[in-house]
Amino acid sequence: MRLLSLVVAAAGVALATAAFAQPYPSKPIRFVVPFPPGGPLDIMGRAIAQKLADVWGQPVVVDNRPGAGGGIGAEIVAKSPGDGYTLLMGAVSTHAINPSLYAKVPYDPQKDFVPVALVAQVPNILVVNPSLPVQSVKELIDYARAKPGALSFGSGSTGSTGHLAGELFKTMAGVDMVHIPYKGGAPAMQDLLAGQTQLMFDNLANALPQVKAGKLRALAVTTLKRAPTLPDLPTVAESGLPGFDLTTWFGVFVPAGTPRETVAKLNAEIVKALASKDLADRLAAMGAAPPENNTPESFAAFVRAEAAKYAQVVKRSGARVD
Amino acid sequence: MKIKAPKDFWAGLMFIAFGVGFAWVAQNYQMGTSVRMGPAYFPTVLGGILAVIGLAIAIQSLITAGGPVGRFYFRPLILIVLATVLFGVLLKPLGLVLSLAVLVGVGAFGGFEFRWKEVTVLYVVLAIFSVYVFVKGLGLPIPVWPGE
Amino acid sequence: MDLLNNLALGFTVALSFQNLLWCFLGVLLGTLVGVLPGIGPVATIAMLLPVTFTLPPVSALIMLAGIYYGAQYGGSTTAILVNLPGESSSVVTALDGYQMARQGRAGPALGIAALGSFFAGTVSTLVIALFAPPLAEVALKFGPTEYFSLMVLGLIAAVVLAHGSLIKAIAMVILGLLLGLVGTDVNSGVARYSFGISELSDGIGFVTVAMGVFGISEIMANLQQQDTRDIFVAKIDRLLPSMDDLKKCIPSVIRGTVLGSALGILPGGGALLASFAAYTLEKKSAKPPRNFGKGDIRGVAAPESANNAGAQTSFIPLLTLGIPSNPVMALMIGAMMIQGIAPGPQVMTERPQLFWGMIASMWVGNLMLVILNLPLIGMWIKLLTVPYRLLYPAILVFCAIGVYSVNNASFDIYMMAIFAVLGYVWVKLECEPAPLILGFILGPMMEENLRRAMLLSRGDPSVFFTKPISAVLLGISLVLLLIVLSPSIKKKREEAFQEA
Repeated sequence: MRLLSLVVAAAGVALATAAFAQPYPSKPIRFVVPFPPGGPLDIMGRAIAQKLADVWGQPVVVDNRPGAGGGIGAEIVAKSPGDGYTLLMGAVSTHAINPSLYAKVPYDPQKDFVPVALVAQVPNILVVNPSLPVQSVKELIDYARAKPGALSFGSGSTGSTGHLAGELFKTMAGVDMVHIPYKGGAPAMQDLLAGQTQLMFDNLANALPQVKAGKLRALAVTTLKRAPTLPDLPTVAESGLPGFDLTTWFGVFVPAGTPRETVAKLNAEIVKALASKDLADRLAAMGAAPPENNTPESFAAFVRAEAAKYAQVVKRSGARVD
Repeated sequence: MKIKAPKDFWAGLMFIAFGVGFAWVAQNYQMGTSVRMGPAYFPTVLGGILAVIGLAIAIQSLITAGGPVGRFYFRPLILIVLATVLFGVLLKPLGLVLSLAVLVGVGAFGGFEFRWKEVTVLYVVLAIFSVYVFVKGLGLPIPVWPGE
Repeated sequence: MDLLNNLALGFTVALSFQNLLWCFLGVLLGTLVGVLPGIGPVATIAMLLPVTFTLPPVSALIMLAGIYYGAQYGGSTTAILVNLPGESSSVVTALDGYQMARQGRAGPALGIAALGSFFAGTVSTLVIALFAPPLAEVALKFGPTEYFSLMVLGLIAAVVLAHGSLIKAIAMVILGLLLGLVGTDVNSGVARYSFGISELSDGIGFVTVAMGVFGISEIMANLQQQDTRDIFVAKIDRLLPSMDDLKKCIPSVIRGTVLGSALGILPGGGALLASFAAYTLEKKSAKPPRNFGKGDIRGVAAPESANNAGAQTSFIPLLTLGIPSNPVMALMIGAMMIQGIAPGPQVMTERPQLFWGMIASMWVGNLMLVILNLPLIGMWIKLLTVPYRLLYPAILVFCAIGVYSVNNASFDIYMMAIFAVLGYVWVKLECEPAPLILGFILGPMMEENLRRAMLLSRGDPSVFFTKPISAVLLGISLVLLLIVLSPSIKKKREEAFQEA
C-alpha cells in the first residue's frame, strides 16, 4: 500500500512538472547590436532590453558586435539557434543594403532571419554648409550642374544611407559630386562644418542641432513624407526628384526557425515598450515615427520591399564594395 | 662572408619577410593612381620600403659587428602561449571557472617554481575575484559554468 | 568678471552633494576599469547608459566624465606596475614607469603620475573655461591635410621614442603602420588582410597588440630566470617622489601640460598623440643626465601630464560644437540625447549650468583622483612584493579576460597569443615595440587622411604645402628629422674618420 501511494505520488509529481513546461523566457536573452555602443541604434536597443527584462524578470544582455556595416553581428545571429534567446537589432544596412553592396555576405537576409518588429524609421536630411550659395534643392542641382565635380559630400561610411542617398541624388538629378567616406558620422559632420565638404545627407538627430544653431542650412528631408518634427522642410521628392525615398531604419530580428508563438510574444512586448512614454519620447527626439501597424508580417514585407529597393539604388549608382 | 651581427641579420630578414609579405598580399586589391590611391597603394609602398630597410639592416650586419640573437627559452614561451590559447578555446564551452583552472595551471607550469598548494590557492582566489568582479560586478557576458 | 561668475555657477553645481557623490562614483569606477586591462571606459559607459536615464542630466554627465578621466589614471597604474598599458595613451608611461617599478621605484613613478596629472588637469580645466569657443574654432581649421601633416610629425617623433638602433626603429614604425592597415579601408570599403576572417575585418585591436607585445611577452622574458625573486627589486625605495624628484619634473610637467592641452583639442587622435609627443619632446629637451628608457622619472611625468591635459581638452569639441573627439565622447552625446539635450553650439548658452557645472566638476574629479590614488600607492607597492611566480598567472588571467571582453571573442585571445610570441621574438632581435605601437595607431589615420585630402583637392598634392598649418607642421617634421638623423650622421662620420 505504501509503495503504491509512493509510486502514484511520484507519477503525479512527474506529470505536474511536465505540464508546467518552462515558459519563455526562462533564461537570459542575448540581444546582439551590430554597431558600436552609443549610437541611436544601440541606445534604443538598450532601452528595449531594459523594458523586456523588467517585464519578464530575465536579464536581457546587449552584446555589441560592430564591424562590416553590421555584418559581423548579423552573421553571429544568423548562425545562432532559433530558440528565442538570441535577438538581433538589424538595420537597413544589414538587411537591405549590404546584400546588394557587398560581393558576398555571410548570411542570407531573407532566409536566415525572422523579422519581429520595426523599431524606428529615421529620416536623413540634406544639409549644406552655409557658405554654399544655394537655398533649395533646385538651386543645388543647378549649381552642381554648372560646376561638375566641384562639390564633395561626406558620409559616415561606404554603404551607409548617407552615401547611397548621395549616389541616388546624383543619378536622379544627373549631377557629378564626389563622395568622401569617413569613419562615422562625427568626423563627417566636423569636416562639413569646417567647409572641407559642402553637403551631406545626415540623419536627423545628428544634423538638427547644427541647423538650429545656424551652422548648417537644411534643404530637404529624404523620406517620401515630411518629417513630423520639421513640417516646414520640403522633401527631396517634392523639390524636383519625385520618387526619392530613403530612410534609415532598424528593427528586431530572430534567427530562422524561431517558433511563431515566441515571435508573437516578442513582438507584443516590443510594441508595448515602444509605446511607453520614455521610449516614445526618445523616438520623437530622433525624428523617428513609430510604425502604426507593427506586426511581424508587416515588418517582413517591409524588409523585402526595402531589399528590392536598395538593389535598384545600388545598381543605379554603381557603388560597390569588394 | 661571415655574419658579424646575427641579431641584426635575422632582424633584417624578418623585416624583408614582412615587407614582401604585406606588399604581395596587397596585390589582391586595387592600386589606383597616386592621385586617387586605391587600397593597395599605401601597403605596397610601405611594404617595399620595409623590405629595402630590412635588406639594408641585413647587409649592415655582414659588415659591422653586433650581438648574437638572444637565447630562446622554450619552456615559458610554449607553456604561456599554450595556456592562453587553451583558455580561449575552453572559455565558451567550459565557462570561466574551469578554463581559468587551465590558464592558471598551465601558466604556472611555465615557470620553474611550481608548487601545487600555492597554485591551487592562487587559482581559487583568482576564480572568485574574476567571477565577482567581471561577471557579477561589471556584468560582462562571460559564461561562468559549462553550458551557459 | 564673467569668468568668475561662470566658474562660481559651475562650482555651485559641481559641489552639490548629489553631484559630488556621482563624481566620486564615476572616478572610482573609472580607476577600477582603467586598472583592469581590456575593459575600457567605452564599454563601461555603454553599460551604464541605462542608469543615466534616471539621473538628472548634469549628474549623469559628471559621472560619465569621471569614468573617462579616472580610466586614464587607472591605465597608467598598470602600465607602471606590470608593463600593461590599459589605454593607448599609457604606452609611453610604461616605457620608463615599468623600469622604475622594477628598480623598486614604483612609488615615485605612481606619485609623479598622479601629481603631474592633477597639475595638468587643473591647468587644462582653466584653459577650457577661458578659451573653449576660440579653441574649438582652431580645431575646425584642422582638415585632412593638416591631420596628415600632424601624423607625419608624430611618426618622426615615434622614431625618437626608441633608444636603440635608429634604423631598426624606423623599420618597426613601418611594420606597425602595416599592421595598422589590417581591416576595412575607409575610402574604398575593401577589407584588407582579413583573409576572410570576419573578426579581422575591423582590424586588429590595440588592446590585443598591447597586451601581447607588452604584457605577455614581458612575462615570458621574465620567466627565463630559474629564480624570479629579483624581477622586482625587493627593497622599496620610497613611497612618494622626493623633493628632488619633484623639482626635476617641474619643467617636464609644464611641457607635457602645454602640449597635451594643445593636442587634445583636435578631434580624432589629438589626445593620443599628446603623450607620445610629450615623451619625445622631453627626451630632446630634458637637461642631462638623461636616462630615458631605463627609468627616468621625467619620462613618466611628461606623458602623464600630457595625456590628462589632452583628456580634458578633448571635451572642448563636444561641449562647444557637439562633435565627439573619440568614442567615449560619442557615448556622452548619446547620454545627452537620452536626456533630451541636443548637443551642439547652443548648449553653452542655453544650459550654462550643464556646461560650467561639468567644467567645474572636472577639476573636482581630478582632486578626488589624487586623493584617491596617492594613498593607494602603498597598496600597489605591497602588491609588487607578492612573489613573481604567483603574480604573473594573475597578470595572465587579467590579460586574457580583458582582451576577451573587448569583443566577446576568443579570436582576440588567440591574436594576443600570436603577438606575445612576436613580441618575444622582437625582444630577442632587439627590435623595440614602442615605435611599432605608435606606427600601429597612426598608420591607418595617416593613410585615411592622405587619401581624403587627395580626394578633396581632386588629386593636387601641393595642398600639403600651400595650406599654412600643414606647411608649418611638415616644416617642423623636417627639422625634427634632421635633428634625429644628425647624431648618427655625426657618429658615422667619426667612425669613418677613425677607420681612415
